[in-house]
Amino acid sequence: MILEINGLTKNFGGLTAVSGIDIKVNDGEVLGLIGPNGAGKSTFFNLITGVIPPTKGKIIFKGKDITGKRPHEIAELGIGRTFQLNPLFPNFTVLQNVISSFQIRPCSNWLDTFFNTPVYRKNEAYILEQSLEILNLVGLYKVKDELAKNQPHGYQKMLGVARALAIKPSLLLLDEPIAGMNPDEIDNTIEAIKRTSQRGVTIILVEHNMKILEICNRVVVINFGQKIVEGSPQEIKENPEVIRAYLGSGHDTKH
Amino acid sequence: MGSMIAARDSSSRRKNYTQIILYGILICFLLFIPLFFQSPYVLHLFILTLVYIIAAASMRFIMTSGQIPLAHAAFLGLGAYVSAVLSKHVGLSPWLSLFIAAFVAMGVGIFISFPFARLKAFYYAMVSLFFGVGLLQAIESLGKLTGGLAGITAIPTLFNTASKVPYYYCFLALTLVSLVILYRFEVSRIGWNLKAIDQSYLVSSSVGISEVKYRVLAVAIGCFFVGLAGGMYANYNVTLSPSSFDSSVTLWMIIYVTIGGMNNFSGPIIGTAVLFLIPQYFSGLKQYAPFISAAILFLVIFMFRNGLVSIPGLLMAFYKRKKSTSKSR
Repeated sequence: MILEINGLTKNFGGLTAVSGIDIKVNDGEVLGLIGPNGAGKSTFFNLITGVIPPTKGKIIFKGKDITGKRPHEIAELGIGRTFQLNPLFPNFTVLQNVISSFQIRPCSNWLDTFFNTPVYRKNEAYILEQSLEILNLVGLYKVKDELAKNQPHGYQKMLGVARALAIKPSLLLLDEPIAGMNPDEIDNTIEAIKRTSQRGVTIILVEHNMKILEICNRVVVINFGQKIVEGSPQEIKENPEVIRAYLGSGHDTKH
Repeated sequence: MGSMIAARDSSSRRKNYTQIILYGILICFLLFIPLFFQSPYVLHLFILTLVYIIAAASMRFIMTSGQIPLAHAAFLGLGAYVSAVLSKHVGLSPWLSLFIAAFVAMGVGIFISFPFARLKAFYYAMVSLFFGVGLLQAIESLGKLTGGLAGITAIPTLFNTASKVPYYYCFLALTLVSLVILYRFEVSRIGWNLKAIDQSYLVSSSVGISEVKYRVLAVAIGCFFVGLAGGMYANYNVTLSPSSFDSSVTLWMIIYVTIGGMNNFSGPIIGTAVLFLIPQYFSGLKQYAPFISAAILFLVIFMFRNGLVSIPGLLMAFYKRKKSTSKSR
């Protein structure tokens, strides 16, 4: 088990965004997290990555308690993430975006950096090679020298994934990876997520789009900050509670 | 960042050579300035320009992480007063006190930047403005050491001559070394991380860049060099008064940086040279200096958003476009 979450709760004033969620994530699986707007999915990600501290509850990553750590410390431990909005450094090129994300690097301290020693140059060459490989993986190699802010929405989202991969995560959190993409881009992204998963990275993804459920091993449904159902994608699709959460209870779901 | 440079188009190689030649010509010109300009007043202006270039360049270094250090002139004053007091009252050699001043400014900078490191642009600006005012008040109130409002006089100088030529060469060397060090930091991973933090705190923390660590580092490096510039000023100018370091000086430094070009390393250098040296040099224009600066400021804001440094590039692009359209006809 790579991630274990016990009784995670977050109150914003009187509003409970996340209330007592327990989730266990197994090594190497793809876990889908779905739920209607405002169900608390993004808050859940922000809690795991330390952007906001939880009110109650524990987050255990690889047997270590990471509750209350700062975002950069959690990133160093190997949790990568993407964002729903604003997912990049706008004034860097695509390649520079990925290179900047290589923060965990062996054998080069600031003195090496300052004097541009062979150790540093070798390290930077290695980082460049790795970055190009990641760009190949997500299919952005052709636009590597263009400014990130000039890229279409789909590319910017993929760049978010590339950046998260640069920290060599063992757990990757994807916040709505295919929202707002066209069908072609969706297929490419799903392909890239599959390839990433095959490299042994555990993935949790938040999504509205039911299409992405196909690649999940397990799906958790959240509504009003609580876990309502958990199961295989097929079970989730047929679950009456899920249908009610998405379509509302006023409708006749049988037609 | 080596790979950043390697990743750029290989066609930039030839441009590199022309750049080296241009810098060579510029440095030769700077070396011969005392021969061209015999007047001590003009040399005095050049020396002050060198001091302000270090100050403005170090200020820009802090600004790359998105913070606006409004206490920067106060740090210049801190360096100046520390060096002055150490060399006058303690009796240290001015050469030693100069560097102690730089380290003291760096220490104070680190001390204040820990609590303030998570503040962004305007909040940091407010906090640092008040810190700067407080620092100057503290200097004024230590009347016995610093001479209070009247200032401190008869500070030991670096050289034992009335000529300004040795100062010019010495300060030129110190400025060049400082600029080279600042440049190395800027193009290294430290500089890139600072720019990344400026663009998005959320994204940079999600890839493991510690905001506090890099902002404190930026302030430490920036304050070291501004402290050094302060020490140089004190042991050159012989007298100091608190009014030379109040917040209007900081505002002038911000203007040097932004007009020269915030996004370019040579921005503050060109900004200082154009806005400080030229109005002072044409002494008839001296009283109009604020108006000239305002005119240049308007010009930059409306036409050259990236500062004066961007003008050659824009002219080049314009020339190329014109050539290609005339060919197509």
